[in-house]
Amino acid sequence: MGRLRQKGKAGAAKAYVTRSAAIKKLQCSLADFRRLCILKGIFPREPRNRKKANKGSSAPTSFYYAKDIAYLAHEPVLKKLREHKAFAKKLSRALGRGEWSSAKTLEDNKPVYRLDHIIKERYPTFIDAVRDIDDALCMVFLFASLPSNSRLPPELIENCARLSSEWQLYVMHSRSLRKSFLSIKGVYYQAEVMDQTVTWLVPYQFTQNIPADVDVRVMLTFLELYQTLLGFVFFKLYTDAGLVYPPPLDIKKDEGGAGVGAFSLQDASDRTSGPPPTKAKAVEIDGRKISGKDVRQTIKSINATAETTGIDVEMSEPNSNSEEVDEEFVAHPSKSDPQSSASLPTLKSLTDLPLSLSTSLFSPYTFYLSRETSRPIFEFLVRSFGGRIGWPASSGSGSPIEESDDSITHVIIDRPLVERTNETPEERERRLRRKYVQPQWVVDCINAGRILLEDAYAQAKTLPPHLSPFGEHQGAYDPAVGLTGEIAPAPAIEEDEESESEEQDIEIDNVEDDVERADKAALKAAAVAEDPAALWAAELAAEAAGVDFGTFEKEVTKSRKASKMTTRDTVEEAEKDMNKMMMSNKQKKLYEKMKYSERKRESERATLEAKKQAIQKQKKQEAKSKG
Amino acid sequence: MAVKHFAKTSNKRKQPFEDDAPPAPSLHVENLEMLSDEENDEDAASDDGHVDEFPEIDTRSDSDEEEDEDDSDDEEEEGENEAEDGSESDNSSLHVFPKAKTIVSDITGQPKRVYPEIEPDYDSDSSTEDAPNRVGNVPMHWYDDLPHVGYNIDGKKVLRPARGDELDKFLQTVEDPSSWTSAFDKTSQMDKPLTTEELDIIQRLYAGEVPDASYDPYEPMTEWFTGKGKEEIMPLSAAPEPKRRWVPSKWEKQKVMKIVRAIRQGRIIGSKPKTTSKFPVYSIWSEPSSSHPPPLPAPKPRLPTNSESYNPPEEYLPTEEERKEWEAQDVEDRERDYLPQKYSALRLVPAYDRFIKERFSRQLDLYLAPRIQRVKLNIDPSTLIPKLPSPSSLKPFPNYKSLTFTQPKGRARCISVSPDGAWVISGDEGGRVSLWEVNVGREVKSWDFGSKIGALEWCPRADVSYFVVTIEEAIHFLIPPNVPSSVFSLTEALLAPASLPPAPTTPSPVKWVSPPSSARSIDTPILTATLPPSSGLPTQVTWHRRGDYLATVSTGGTQGGVWIHQITRRHSQAPFKKVKGAVQMVLFHPLKPHFFVATQQYVRLYNLSEQKLLKTLTPGIKWISSMDVHPSGDHLIVGGYDRKLCWFDLELSDKPYKIMRYHTRAIRSLHFHPSYPLFASSSDDGAIQIFHARVYNDLMTDPLIVPLKILRGHEIRDGLGVLQVKWCSRQPWLVSGGADGTIAVCQNHSFDLWVNNSSDAYAILIHGEMIIFDPDIRGCTRKRSRSQKKTIMPSSPVQKQHGCIRETPGFNVNRKEGIAGTRSEPASLSVSSVAGSLKIVDVPVRSGLRVIHGKYNAGNFDVPITQRAGTPVDPPLN
Repeated sequence: MGRLRQKGKAGAAKAYVTRSAAIKKLQCSLADFRRLCILKGIFPREPRNRKKANKGSSAPTSFYYAKDIAYLAHEPVLKKLREHKAFAKKLSRALGRGEWSSAKTLEDNKPVYRLDHIIKERYPTFIDAVRDIDDALCMVFLFASLPSNSRLPPELIENCARLSSEWQLYVMHSRSLRKSFLSIKGVYYQAEVMDQTVTWLVPYQFTQNIPADVDVRVMLTFLELYQTLLGFVFFKLYTDAGLVYPPPLDIKKDEGGAGVGAFSLQDASDRTSGPPPTKAKAVEIDGRKISGKDVRQTIKSINATAETTGIDVEMSEPNSNSEEVDEEFVAHPSKSDPQSSASLPTLKSLTDLPLSLSTSLFSPYTFYLSRETSRPIFEFLVRSFGGRIGWPASSGSGSPIEESDDSITHVIIDRPLVERTNETPEERERRLRRKYVQPQWVVDCINAGRILLEDAYAQAKTLPPHLSPFGEHQGAYDPAVGLTGEIAPAPAIEEDEESESEEQDIEIDNVEDDVERADKAALKAAAVAEDPAALWAAELAAEAAGVDFGTFEKEVTKSRKASKMTTRDTVEEAEKDMNKMMMSNKQKKLYEKMKYSERKRESERATLEAKKQAIQKQKKQEAKSKG
Repeated sequence: MAVKHFAKTSNKRKQPFEDDAPPAPSLHVENLEMLSDEENDEDAASDDGHVDEFPEIDTRSDSDEEEDEDDSDDEEEEGENEAEDGSESDNSSLHVFPKAKTIVSDITGQPKRVYPEIEPDYDSDSSTEDAPNRVGNVPMHWYDDLPHVGYNIDGKKVLRPARGDELDKFLQTVEDPSSWTSAFDKTSQMDKPLTTEELDIIQRLYAGEVPDASYDPYEPMTEWFTGKGKEEIMPLSAAPEPKRRWVPSKWEKQKVMKIVRAIRQGRIIGSKPKTTSKFPVYSIWSEPSSSHPPPLPAPKPRLPTNSESYNPPEEYLPTEEERKEWEAQDVEDRERDYLPQKYSALRLVPAYDRFIKERFSRQLDLYLAPRIQRVKLNIDPSTLIPKLPSPSSLKPFPNYKSLTFTQPKGRARCISVSPDGAWVISGDEGGRVSLWEVNVGREVKSWDFGSKIGALEWCPRADVSYFVVTIEEAIHFLIPPNVPSSVFSLTEALLAPASLPPAPTTPSPVKWVSPPSSARSIDTPILTATLPPSSGLPTQVTWHRRGDYLATVSTGGTQGGVWIHQITRRHSQAPFKKVKGAVQMVLFHPLKPHFFVATQQYVRLYNLSEQKLLKTLTPGIKWISSMDVHPSGDHLIVGGYDRKLCWFDLELSDKPYKIMRYHTRAIRSLHFHPSYPLFASSSDDGAIQIFHARVYNDLMTDPLIVPLKILRGHEIRDGLGVLQVKWCSRQPWLVSGGADGTIAVCQNHSFDLWVNNSSDAYAILIHGEMIIFDPDIRGCTRKRSRSQKKTIMPSSPVQKQHGCIRETPGFNVNRKEGIAGTRSEPASLSVSSVAGSLKIVDVPVRSGLRVIHGKYNAGNFDVPITQRAGTPVDPPLN
């Protein structure tokens, strides 16, 4: 006989602790516990049986893994938090006594915690960190746009703005932006960094106010972690790309509102030629890239040693691909483009080929932003696809291109068309040479991966709908299919026919209308008629209505066929329904759940399709009434 | 006055030491109860006297009032003194109250004490103001319902002053010039004019001044200890000043030098330069990471869909109703946290007002929400449905209603099919028992008993033919009519033998009576067993398979209402002394001497020969309604009012092998087919469910249960549907009695009927065999075909059905699957098939079909093909 088992000594009762028990064990306040949980990424768990985990009580509490809490007990941050508590007491005492000098000393030696070890612990590899920076980027971009106040010190906002600019710089430099989406919530961007898709959302440029029901402390704690995380991630990304981190900031430009342009990318080799090779050794993941860069840099330095140090790395590198090819084929130094040189297909050229097309999408073009368009959005979009862009001084300083520049091919404009009266011939000529497009064109081109025709997006035109590049769930309604008319869904065709015939009805004169209605009704009755007597009656009615027998027969056979199909279906359905009796309760519930979600998706799709048909019909009618 | 003077002087004397100490009590022993305001007043007055001594104070403003006060004080003190004098003169003892007289009450006749009335102007403290109401500081609304507003000092009621109505008040305000300076007095419950002092206070308050006119806020400061001429010149101590006051400290110097030396040597550095709180970033991932697996990454937020676009396709925009519905919903209940919107240009897109809120909720999700890893099921839901053999491969089973028999007097509660399967008896709540033929549905005989039929059952013996009917604590034995004489005589010999069996040794409360042979008739029972009185109506009768024993279950009575009767011995016994719970049903085991008893929640299996309990089955049903045992005796099905059906494998367990719940209402009746692998259940939802139930002899194979067919057609009346189902013993036919008073026979044949439009020929297709009836050729031809019934096209004279109907519009055949229907009016045609024979009943006269064969008699028309009777179309499967 085994030992008697006591209740609450093993299993769920030991594996889980409630939140209050955890706080008691850690001997910290609830606020500190929350802060720790946020920083360490500890979240509550749902025990399989709440009662067993909570000593028989079913009170609503949140549970944590006991091991998580046990690890927390040794957390250096927790120690620092305790020190901070003591510090706060000392400080308040000093202030209360009016001992200003000792208060100042205390303030100078304030305990501060570091988060490096937590970053390392939560993200053991760099890939883990890159995979998880979505939320961090969203937060940093949000706080970069917030006004500073007593709760949000200006240094914090500044740091967030710096981090967001650094990220944008990196994305532009590495040409890793893939998709973008203008939504009502803001602009979604998706980049591919280290083979991980990173999606972030940037709000439109308006002053945001923190609502009263939002706990700023929680947000700031998250931001603390995210800032540290992004700092390390960017450091790694920049150094891997052979760039200096942090990129030097031109304060004058920054004060002029240059945004991203205030930072300049510096090649790491220019400043210190030592570290990059060692880094390349350390980093296995994209050692190829680094080694390539290094080789190039050394060649460059050999060729032009007299070149200025601290040269800015050119952001828009339309021929970067050819350069890369050069590196691969050293023996073949011609400046041919990658397509022609792909006669010797290597894995690298093959993988680069489709990307090179889309990432240098805007490289032949030069854009100019009209002053009502948002500069940060379109500067980022255009430059990350290789285009050059300029803007008026009202959108910020640092524009590389003047408005009068002849190289401008596209003007992104978002205002209604107005008649120009006082226009010099020079301006007119310039206007005719350039293409004026609405901002959506840029984003749609990026998502389509090719340059779309500008006509549909011309100034003051009604824009085609802007669709999400991220797609919908499987089997959802796809508006693009209806739009291009390539593959219209089967029910839609039928409905179209019906609508067509109905429209014909509308066209028919009123006198005829009644007759036609009656005869349609007769036909319909025949189709419905199941038993012979009803059929006969229907036939008589049809004769009276003046339908010839041939059409009647046709209708009848059609309906018969349909009904036969349906009867077979119904028989099978009935058998299925009966077999459901033999399902176990669990299976039955699962089945019903699945069926429910299926039906829901179907109904969503059906409503969208019906709406679309209604809209199309209405449009047709409007066109008809006009024409 | 001497006393007062003395007090004054004493006060003066005490002043420097204790300012507000009460005067020594020894001086005031006599007027203890008078130790009140006067003393303080005296003190105040004496204080005033002191103040007067200082020449700086300007007391002119107070002087006259002081004098007034003094005057009043004097008066009071005079009165006081007088009182004191009086009391002293009365007696020297401490007698406070006036003396009481003792008089004889003229009401009670008892002596009582009467105190003299208190004179208010004498011995009273506030004699100046005659406030009659001595009610004190109590809420005056206590007196709201009373005629008085309090009591005066004598304890007499102070009556409420008359108060006019609103008009009077108004007139008073107009007439009385002083009304605007009067205020409502709570204690007297009337308006009292304000005094000039009060008016003065009001005016001062209104002007924002200090209410007390005598108070001067700008009095000059009195310098008591400071000021000119009051400086202290002499030092407090004459000790000489110590040396340390002017010699520099050695120890301080040592300490400072220590710090200076440390600074010189660089051990102490001046305060660190103010560093920014940022820490330098470095290559954190260059060192190898620990072997711990990384925590699971948080799920990424949902990516935006088309409807979130600033310029979505128009079909995504919500309609007005959708918008209203979305707005009416709670924020938590909304499926989407935004409403799709369309803007014609990007510059028109406003800021998203819930941006921060959404980021915050995402963070709350990250650190407050429990995360569970779920396996996403990516299966087709139809694969969850068990694969069972198709019902069409499990034929025969009843699949259509072939005929309906109507019980005229209410619900058809009970039915029974004769052992040969040709006859049905049915009983209803009106007390009518009908005997009718299964094939045709024609009633042959009916009995009227006048009260509700509890149960009826045929005797399972083949050599005799009789059935039992229970009515009102009596069990009647009846012989059906038209029985062959040999059978009849045997039955009669069994039920009413010439020599009665010997009476049992222990007298039974059940009386067995059969009428004398002269009084016997076909309408009356040949034998009646009467249960003891108040045992209630037997609701169930069940036969032992040999046909000698019969068990009944009554609704009331003791011993659980279970009785077992033996026909040959005319003996009844109650097998149970006491049964736990109400017995719902009993059954004999088909092979062994076992007996099933279903109580409300349990089914117990008894061995009758050994008289012991074998098993208790727990179906888990709240209230058992019915049960039946498989002909093999190893399986039992139990149905309950809570819609559950339990299948028990008796050799397996006491718990059900399978529990099914498919009826939407209570299960009423269950029956296993005696020869086919079928069972049926009926329910209050008006449906009958037919199952294929095959059991195997080897213990390893589970029984196969396949739902075959749902038969509907009974109406639901008063929440009751199908009350009983019974199988015909030799055919896969089902007889069901419903609450609507109809009894339906469901059979397994299907017809196809083809009618010629030129001649009056029929073609009838039964299971691949086509039979053509033609009145012209006076007979029928048969064609056999192995192919499917739909592909057979009869020879030229026979046409499609609907074509025929055009020719003979009065003829209406309902051609639903398997039903050769009826035309009810003016004449009716009904076709039914019995095991290869075909019957056409009630051939209409008017429609030109009347002379099919000329053998139309008694409403029963036998086509020559009936000679093939006896060969069943579907051979039994086991």
